[in-house]
Amino acid sequence: MRARPIRIDQIIPSIVERDAVSHHALEAQKVLHSMGFVSEIYARNMGPGLHGRVHLLEDLPRERPERQWVCYQASIGSPAADVFASHPGLKLLDYHNISPAELVERWLPHLGEEIRLGRKQLAELAPIVEIGFADSEFNRLELDEAGYRDTTVAPLMVDTTNFSCPPDQRVVDRLAAARARGGHDWLFVGQMLPHKAHQDVIKALVCARRMFDPEARLHLIGRESCPAYADALHRYVSALGLTGAVEFAGSVSSGELSAYYASSEVFVCCSDHEGFCAPLLEAMHHRLPVVAYGVTAVPETVLDAGIVLASKSPVLVATAVQRVLTDAPLREALVRAGLERARAFSAESARRGFARAIEQVLQAT
Amino acid sequence: MTSEVVAEIEAQARELRASGCVPPGLEDELEACFEDVAEASLSGAGMPSVGETGSVTPVAGVAGPLSLAGLRRQATTLVRRRLGSSLRRLERRSALGAARAGESVWTQAHVTLDRMERLTAGSVLASRVLSAVRPRELAASVAATTNPALEGPLLTWVLERLSVAKSQEVPGKPGLVVHAECGDGRFVEMLDARGLDARGADPRSSVRTAGTGKIVAAGTLEYLAATQAETFDGILLTGVVDRLRPGAARALAQLAARALAPGGVVVLVSARPEVTVAMDPVAADLAPGRPLHPVTWCHLLAHFGLSELEVFEPDPSTSDASEPDVFAVSARRPISRFAGVSGDLS
Repeated sequence: MRARPIRIDQIIPSIVERDAVSHHALEAQKVLHSMGFVSEIYARNMGPGLHGRVHLLEDLPRERPERQWVCYQASIGSPAADVFASHPGLKLLDYHNISPAELVERWLPHLGEEIRLGRKQLAELAPIVEIGFADSEFNRLELDEAGYRDTTVAPLMVDTTNFSCPPDQRVVDRLAAARARGGHDWLFVGQMLPHKAHQDVIKALVCARRMFDPEARLHLIGRESCPAYADALHRYVSALGLTGAVEFAGSVSSGELSAYYASSEVFVCCSDHEGFCAPLLEAMHHRLPVVAYGVTAVPETVLDAGIVLASKSPVLVATAVQRVLTDAPLREALVRAGLERARAFSAESARRGFARAIEQVLQAT
Repeated sequence: MTSEVVAEIEAQARELRASGCVPPGLEDELEACFEDVAEASLSGAGMPSVGETGSVTPVAGVAGPLSLAGLRRQATTLVRRRLGSSLRRLERRSALGAARAGESVWTQAHVTLDRMERLTAGSVLASRVLSAVRPRELAASVAATTNPALEGPLLTWVLERLSVAKSQEVPGKPGLVVHAECGDGRFVEMLDARGLDARGADPRSSVRTAGTGKIVAAGTLEYLAATQAETFDGILLTGVVDRLRPGAARALAQLAARALAPGGVVVLVSARPEVTVAMDPVAADLAPGRPLHPVTWCHLLAHFGLSELEVFEPDPSTSDASEPDVFAVSARRPISRFAGVSGDLS
């Protein structure tokens, strides 16, 4: 058994509010505190509202290895990885996946470079990291491929604020008024970034409006993180004559998000890459059946609690959505299975999982 | 159970295609249409106006007539987008808080004096009174920016550094550059002439040139705080850097680093601290702060993640050193920094 350190500190390239990896790091800190460790978070970049809770990376203490361990939250290329690599403490790495550069670099060339750096750093860190945590089996296999000698799945600590927040009544009323005029409401939640493939959900909506549901509407929630891509989506919707049928809601409050989940009838995900995809669980928690393109970690996150398709051809996605909307027993079965799946990722369960992973490192010889 | 359902769905989709419910080639047309708009967006081509599809490939039988309800929804979406960014801007402003309070007071004092001067135009007495209460360092600063200390080799050096500012967001698009405390905007025009998309900000209406449309009324700290992160490919700081309180100097470096897009360049031009005090001790005593040494600026900029630091100090021994009392510092935001976005991009 290893000597128990006094502190386990986390290093993260960037930390901002309302970001899945940032939330995970803040929750991990609480778990480490509850286990009796001194634990601080050190970030290279810090968003508003986190000063005081998070420290600048330059202030990371360098104590003896038996006193201090460091855990790197890996999700992008960053000079923070070099600070982690040069630290004397025993090293843990928590991997949240790095989206492939080819999916984003056409739109965001600098992010493509950042991603390539991230992949390179991930491989370089393998020999010096004691154990690699991954928030999905898909991510764990990537760590294995990168040469990590010991890996385990430690669940993502999902931000459950959106699970319990009461829905914003104004949004509920607005969506109800639209639905009274006919048509079903589709929903997708995710940052407006190219690998989320919003355009493929829009294509499926076009087919559904032609084949089954002329008044179907799509609500796209998520901040516009890539101006050129967001611009293309706006142009696309305009060119297709769907301006009134597709809503770009942007970044919304927890209450508004809750209202969209409560008022929509199907969650449609056509992403090309997801390391976990927390909105799938949010949808399940809100009794929203899921239709998703089954790539990367999506099948593992959904399991049998949603319709997972091997292709995202617009006609196939539209047909799947129509089936979910019109087959009441299927819908009910999916809602039940979804609720069960969401419970498996409850905050308490995820915290226990992370604590177990830390204990596993302590027990190792 | 779901695997059986998926098999049924796949079979149904095949039947729909075979039965002609789906127009042949619709899926390919949808893909081609997206490629068209993607190219237009990446090249920065103009957005088609309401009711027209621009140069994008039309998709047969998809576009419907515009309705009043559709236009209303479009307007609502637009307003939501605009309000959303205003609220985010407000949040950023409040986050800065006390760090720039002193600068805001300073700016407001001068903006108020400008307004009073306009109101009392023609009154010799009022003009004298206002001149007497206007702090000395403003006059010095106005002189510096309306008759810039940017001349000779220093000007060449600054222009060279800013001219390489390129848009990282959209390849081929001119870099977006701002001159904070730009005075009459002549340097904004110079940068524009070099193919950059140049903007300016200055708190003093008395020095801004009317009608350029590219200069806004704002103090430097206020302007940068209200700017979205990673906005500019180049930032030029003059004037205000000579009279910042120590705390505000740190805030300025932080805000400039935050406002720079990856790969972006910041250049600041400042008076040498020892020369300012020696030449005009009264003005220096009245100023809220002192100019900083170039090494201090380098340290501050590096602290907030900027690199490739360079200092230009005109050589006083050479005959073409027109401004030996002024130095410039440049720094670049590393392309490998991508603040605020994690790689799984969930």
